[in-house]
Amino acid sequence: MIELMNVRKVFNAGNPSEFSALNSVNLHIAENQVTVLKGPSGSGKTTLLSIVGCMSRPSAGRVNLQGREITSLPERFLTDIRRKTFGFIFQQPNLIKGISVLENVMLPAYPLGEKRSQLKIKAMKGLSELNIANKAASKVEWLSGGEAQRASIVRALINDPHIIIADEPTAHLDSKLSYRFMEIIEKFKAEGKTVIITSHDPLVYESSMVDRVVNLRDGQIER
Amino acid sequence: MTHWIEKQRYIIDFTLSSLLRRKVKNFGLLALYTLIVFILASTMFFTYAIKKEAALILNGAPEIVVQKIVAGRHDLFPLAYVETIKNIRGVASVESRLWGYYYDSLVSANYTLLTPPGNDAAKPSAKTTVVENDSGGEAVKPLFELNGAKLEPGTLIIGNGIARLRAIGKDDYMPFRAFDGKVLNFRIAGVLSSQSELVSSDLMLITGEDFRKLFGIDNSHVTDLTVVVNNPSEVAMVASKIKKHLPDARPIIRDEILRTYDSIFNWRGGMMIVIFSAAVLAFVIFAWDKASGLSAGERREIGILKAVGWETSDVIQMKFWEGAMISLTAFFTGVILAYIHVFFTGSIVFEPALKGWSSLYPNFELTPFVNLEQLTTLFFLTVVPYTVATIVPIWRAATIDPDSAMRFTGE
Ligand SMILES: Nc1ncnc2c1ncn2[C@@H]1O[C@H](COP(=O)(O)OP(=O)(O)OP(=O)(O)O)[C@@H](O)[C@H]1O
Ligand SMILES: [Mg+2]
Repeated sequence: MIELMNVRKVFNAGNPSEFSALNSVNLHIAENQVTVLKGPSGSGKTTLLSIVGCMSRPSAGRVNLQGREITSLPERFLTDIRRKTFGFIFQQPNLIKGISVLENVMLPAYPLGEKRSQLKIKAMKGLSELNIANKAASKVEWLSGGEAQRASIVRALINDPHIIIADEPTAHLDSKLSYRFMEIIEKFKAEGKTVIITSHDPLVYESSMVDRVVNLRDGQIER
Repeated sequence: MTHWIEKQRYIIDFTLSSLLRRKVKNFGLLALYTLIVFILASTMFFTYAIKKEAALILNGAPEIVVQKIVAGRHDLFPLAYVETIKNIRGVASVESRLWGYYYDSLVSANYTLLTPPGNDAAKPSAKTTVVENDSGGEAVKPLFELNGAKLEPGTLIIGNGIARLRAIGKDDYMPFRAFDGKVLNFRIAGVLSSQSELVSSDLMLITGEDFRKLFGIDNSHVTDLTVVVNNPSEVAMVASKIKKHLPDARPIIRDEILRTYDSIFNWRGGMMIVIFSAAVLAFVIFAWDKASGLSAGERREIGILKAVGWETSDVIQMKFWEGAMISLTAFFTGVILAYIHVFFTGSIVFEPALKGWSSLYPNFELTPFVNLEQLTTLFFLTVVPYTVATIVPIWRAATIDPDSAMRFTGE
């Protein structure tokens, strides 16, 4: 489903601070599987994830998504693909302060111009599935860490994406909430979604529902 | 289409809640912006209205004024010339005028003394025209109004400005020092109505007899003449004929007077232009500041929005609505406040600045006069640059990679 060929990512090319974060990465991510990217800090996990998720372009190489070459697409199309195909769960909840949880959750759907009443129903359903429906009207700064994390998961799912991308989702969760998170992942898998997670948390990569663990080191995949 | 509308609604809603989130900052912004629009609009309304007022008054001015010139200076006009002018073809009527200035050292102010038509006994043609002048269909303000008060020898009718300055009113007495040192006491017969205060504030109406006594002018002279011409297109021709017959006379046609008055009012408006340009400058600085600033919080938010699937154009639309909401609110509030300020409170804020111009500051009750051109000018001076200024930094925000959201640490 996702295919990376000879992908390279160079930061600050041409500067003395030039840094090559990814070096000829070849990777195939299968549909409806849970793939974990593992590796030491600075090995390029987040960088790889952002390329897979159409958030940034590789410096060289090709990325195919569902058989379609996406690296050369203009920004508008990338945004469109990103919005419809991917749901992102960031290391930080990255919620927007000052507005309600419900509004935060609906934010990715705004550019699609869906009817508000329908969108609201969808958002409330998502919130109640993660047991935070009672916080819908609260401001995000009042949420606990775990609640914020769950709100950001609901936001990632609002456009019903095929592929879920999570960067260190358990970094700020205790083990109970981490288990809870893995249960949510299991549910995604049961719904036929593809999941890509970066993590150095054993609780994640040793979990039974993980299909494949990819080891990254210094921007390269370890065999 | 419905999607597009729905999308705009979402963006507007989000913009509104964004604005409310930074209440203090945005309220300050709005207040400053409104203040600038208020100053700009006030100066504009004031200058336009004052010019309009002046034009209205001066439309009723005589077509030709004839002065006598001696050594390049305005001299007393011999009444003997009147017949010569009357005989020029095309001249409908000739009026003589008596007017001058009197310096009152008590309040260091200059008064304009004028003998109203028909009040000079020495006048050859005792034609009693009313002060009200009807030229054209346009509403013309009379140069002064007698308010029913009767002007007779030994009395004066004074302008509002003088009445205020000297704290005097009807039936009070006012002493004058005549040309020969004698003190003349005049009774105030009445105060001019405030209708055309712009011109009449420092005006004093006096009979011809008293005028001559005060300034020592004999009965064979007047200050100047006004000439009415049969056919308005012949004004220039008549003027040149006067010049030919009376080489030491100087005919001044109304257009020239209008120009002179225009420059006087422009000068008065000059003060306003200073205020105006200061406000424009403040606005430019303010807009520039806005344009160059995109706070870390805003950058972060834009990063998040882009990461969750907002396009650069969506973000720009959001900023556009933000700029439009703030600037339109400020624009309408500022304009309405300025309208009230200029036309209902007599430019109370500007009064101190204008007062320095003369101790006989007229208390303006300007006729509300606002046209579309003024409003459009204001709009293009304020709303447009501001809205553009809010969008500009977003082009730079377009360079914020969506993946920056993945690298935010801490809250
Ligand atoms: N915009 C950038 N400019 C320069 N260097 C960058 C940039 N982004 C990332 N890097 C560098 O690329 C390398 C890989 O970064 P990346 O965030 O992918 O690591 P990671 O594997 O996710 O690490 P961690 O486990 O700590 O999150 C790091 O050394 C980082 O400093
Ligand atoms: Mg990382």
